[in-house]
Amino acid sequence: MLNKLYAGYFPMVLQFILNNNGDEDDAKDVYQEGIIVLYNKIKGGDFELSSKLKTYIYSVCRRIWLKKLAQYSKKTSSVADFEDIIAIEEDMEQHEEKDQQFEKMEVALTSLGEPCKTIIQDFYIHNLSMQDICEKFGYTNTDNAKTQKYKCLQRLKKLFFQSELK
Amino acid sequence: MRNEIELEGIIEDYLNGKLTEAEAKEFEQLRRNDPAIDHKVVAHKVFLESLRSYGAVTDLKQKMDEAHARIDVETLSRKLGPHPSFMVNIWRKNRAAMGVAASFLLLSFAVLYSIQQNTEQIGSVEQVKRDLTSLKSSQSSLIRKINSTASAPKNENPANYGGTGFALTANGYILTSLHVIEGAESITVLDNQGQPYKVRVVRTDSQYDLAILKITDDKFRILSNLPYRLKHDNIGMGEEVYTLGFPKDDAVYGRGYVSSGTGYNGDTTQYQVSIPVNPGNSGGPLLDQKGNIIGVISAKQNQVDGATFAVKSKYIQEALNSIPNDSLGNKVVFSKKNSLQVLSKPKQIEKIKDYVFMIKVYK
Repeated sequence: MLNKLYAGYFPMVLQFILNNNGDEDDAKDVYQEGIIVLYNKIKGGDFELSSKLKTYIYSVCRRIWLKKLAQYSKKTSSVADFEDIIAIEEDMEQHEEKDQQFEKMEVALTSLGEPCKTIIQDFYIHNLSMQDICEKFGYTNTDNAKTQKYKCLQRLKKLFFQSELK
Repeated sequence: MRNEIELEGIIEDYLNGKLTEAEAKEFEQLRRNDPAIDHKVVAHKVFLESLRSYGAVTDLKQKMDEAHARIDVETLSRKLGPHPSFMVNIWRKNRAAMGVAASFLLLSFAVLYSIQQNTEQIGSVEQVKRDLTSLKSSQSSLIRKINSTASAPKNENPANYGGTGFALTANGYILTSLHVIEGAESITVLDNQGQPYKVRVVRTDSQYDLAILKITDDKFRILSNLPYRLKHDNIGMGEEVYTLGFPKDDAVYGRGYVSSGTGYNGDTTQYQVSIPVNPGNSGGPLLDQKGNIIGVISAKQNQVDGATFAVKSKYIQEALNSIPNDSLGNKVVFSKKNSLQVLSKPKQIEKIKDYVFMIKVYK
């Protein structure tokens, strides 16, 4: 399903980026970010398609790329367009918020270090049980594992909320 | 620390719905009694949510990378990249523009009956008004015999076209339909009390039939904060909606429902709404039950009863983006709050009335 969707609309975005000062890698980054916007919107439950899916993806990717171009201070005076576009301002606002959260979490998890990072990911993201974790990391009993997980989470929270202050 | 670990365990079980009903109840009681615990629950929930959504996005990224690896990017780029041939580039770059040109041609063939108050209708309205006045004067002449005061009201209505508009910002930007003001020699807007103000046209958008006016009159006092909010999401069929407009000299309320997610000939920029509107309703706000703006009344289809079209609110946002920054350099933003949603309909209308304007156009 994802493979099909991904392969289906990539050429459209690639064409747009290549003809507007970008290369293949830019196209990949922009397109993946665009799919994440779509994914979060669907997950948010308020997704009602008012246009073709194609138009939505194109509009989102176009907007992401124009923003990047502005950041690199490349010229954006004339954009070569290949599809219709629709207004996606609100979705982009939400996305930027989510993206910030994502980056903060990434930074926090990286600075958390091992084995904490893996314990947290295993428990909270991959839904492993305390028992599994106990065995995987060789803790003598689940209480030890629980204490370790608790300490890790406290540290992660601290790192995460600290970066919020910056 | 033991206790802390246990508390966190309970909070997690509670958030994951793993507690028994009795335990959950007891815990909720504890939450109510102890704000510190309540705060912990909320903070933990938010944190876990961002952790999980981080996980989900990472997972998605990985899957996308796998999908990406299967695509032959090089061949695609050769096919889709900037083409050496000049003509091909022209065609590619202007394909969208050519499409627009073609649809304009089609549009001009389409018979859309725009809801404008024309001279004839004003005439008939005035006729009725005159009758009323003469009736009144005959009555008042009777009354005058008794207490010999009062004077007959004077009626003036020299404008020959009219429509409706509503406030976009508290400082006097007003949105209306482009066809209401198109070709105007002068435009005046009247507030709910009938006070006229001079305006200038700030922007017109022929694609969506929208126009933005700015009140330039010294008499104009800045409005209090807008009570309504712009709803960006599309709304579904069957949703009840209402409008406030000026088909006559006083505001008229109209109620209906969204009958289709697309407008005339499947136009995705509009809704089809089943709502009684009359000439003069053009440019009026279309609101949902909670008082969110969901569109602008634009046109009515000839000969089809109850088919009115309204431009979707998301295109209002685009128009709004064109308003220049204010003197402090802040971008003009539409109110994010909606103070109407808790109010009953009559109360909502009472509030909105001050933000809906009659637009008089002299051509």
